[in-house]
Amino acid sequence: MSTVTAPTIELPARPGSVVRYFRETGLLVGRALRTIPAVPERLSDVTIQPIVFTLLFLYVFGAAIEIPGVPRYQDYLLPGLIGQSLAFGVIGAGVATANDFSSGVIDRFRSLPVTRLSVISAQVIGQVIEQILGMTIVAGLGLLLGWEPHMSAVEVLGLIALILLGLTAFTWFGVLLGMLVRSSDAMQGIGFAIVFPLAFLAGTFVPIEKMDLIPRTIGEWNPISTLVAAVRQITQGVHATGSWPLEHPVVAMVLWCLVIIGVCVPIALRRFQTTSAA
Amino acid sequence: MSSTPPAVETDGLTKRFGDFTAVADLDLRVDAGGVVALLGPNGAGKTTTVRMLATLVAPTSGSATVCGHDVVRESDAVRQAISLTGQFAALEDNLTARRNLILMAQLRGHGKRAAQTIADGLIDRFDIGEFRDKLIKGLSGGQRRRVDMAASLVTQPELLVLDEPTTGLDPRSRMVVWETVRDLVGEGVTLLLTTQYLEEADALADRIVLIDHGREAASGTPTELKARIGEQRVDVVAVDAAGLERIVAALDGRFEISVNRGQRTVSVPAPDETIALTEVAGAIRDAGVPIDEIALRRPTLDDAFLTLTGHPPTPEKPDGARSDDDVAEEIAA
Repeated sequence: MSTVTAPTIELPARPGSVVRYFRETGLLVGRALRTIPAVPERLSDVTIQPIVFTLLFLYVFGAAIEIPGVPRYQDYLLPGLIGQSLAFGVIGAGVATANDFSSGVIDRFRSLPVTRLSVISAQVIGQVIEQILGMTIVAGLGLLLGWEPHMSAVEVLGLIALILLGLTAFTWFGVLLGMLVRSSDAMQGIGFAIVFPLAFLAGTFVPIEKMDLIPRTIGEWNPISTLVAAVRQITQGVHATGSWPLEHPVVAMVLWCLVIIGVCVPIALRRFQTTSAA
Repeated sequence: MSSTPPAVETDGLTKRFGDFTAVADLDLRVDAGGVVALLGPNGAGKTTTVRMLATLVAPTSGSATVCGHDVVRESDAVRQAISLTGQFAALEDNLTARRNLILMAQLRGHGKRAAQTIADGLIDRFDIGEFRDKLIKGLSGGQRRRVDMAASLVTQPELLVLDEPTTGLDPRSRMVVWETVRDLVGEGVTLLLTTQYLEEADALADRIVLIDHGREAASGTPTELKARIGEQRVDVVAVDAAGLERIVAALDGRFEISVNRGQRTVSVPAPDETIALTEVAGAIRDAGVPIDEIALRRPTLDDAFLTLTGHPPTPEKPDGARSDDDVAEEIAA
């Protein structure tokens, strides 16, 4: 081995914590995105899966389902699929986080003088970017297969903003679950036991009005139904009824997201800061 | 001379995971410029100690400072001073070796250009060139460890912590790691290392702390500890009882022998290794006695534990099966 000489490059002066937070978050998001070519299969849940679901529901159930007031099933289904993607994103983010946080590299990051929030933020942003890909595929495929949203330019921007907010909130929730569960198998289990049914009990594929009391109540207050109702209202001008969130879906969705973020961020940070924990 | 704070100073440092006490009342001190080895079997509490020092887990009680900074109250300052290489190579598996080094340098605060220069310097220094553009997941254990150590040196740390740097490595890779560590020590890096091998602690450290069930069982310089454990020796194993007596006759008087008749073995202290070995072998050849085996024996971790704690190194097992610190941590969490 060659003679050792220490690296002599001096560290630049340390910027303030806000600047460091943005810089480190950027670096760590870069790390997450750069690993994709090595494990492209990681993207299957935002590429292959939504394509399969879109085709299955449109051509298997679409032929048999008639929705009162919506003549073409595409126009009913697509807002539902957007809601379902949002829900499944929770599972995806949780599994990815459980995998990531059980590998040694996160410990390495935690042992560096890096803002703690930046490590989790990067996890969330990386996942949101992947989910955006999934949403784009769903919406693009829907448009190809005859979905006809009716929106003004302002409404398009509003819809995109609402979906981004929803993705951010739901991904925070998924990342937190992944951190708490710490095993991707357990995370898959939670996904199938809780998130999967919620994604169906949200007026996603069929209306909830005629369901029994319990599933109908879940559907009326489920945040996924709120998003689905909001998307339907914005894209097709169809108004849902049954509960306050369904009747005011846009406002309700914004509130839901703020509550989810407000609860998940501090818990995730606390969880991550094991130094001060017992 | 201004007084430099010790690189590590712990006072009654204790970590419990539920009912399992991983580290108990540990008082540890590493002076600036020193090289201290924490020696103990799996589950002795070495990794938990290191993780507390690196601010990855909080102590249950007691305190610890790194370069004068408290690990709980001044964790950010601690993290700027310390550089940790974990037992399980903590690198991004799905990035290349070079990419990992650049990322670590950037996360330490270097700009992109400087980070690339530093990464390339480390690639030369650790002979990583051959596999610099390979993904970490495709590297051998020895190659990973080299990248991992390089990643700890993207800045000059005030304290370098190597957690079991050679566990699971083949002998050749172990030698490479040892050489690197010696080079670093030569540069004046303050080093805390954990190991399960007495030989490794002896080769690298100027002070050894023997850890048993999370407690300090003994400490001292390698020479002091070896004096207490017993030096290395040459063992001659006879083919039969008659042969044993002929060996005793050939060696007695010339060497300070001890005889174990049950194992048909004659032992000779060998502080100077090869000289003792060749002299003993020569005496036996001159006497023309057939033997079964002649070998240089070094005291092992088992010998050290038997002598210094009175029992062999049997780690306490929190749930019966595996028993390293990480497992204890997972169970308790």
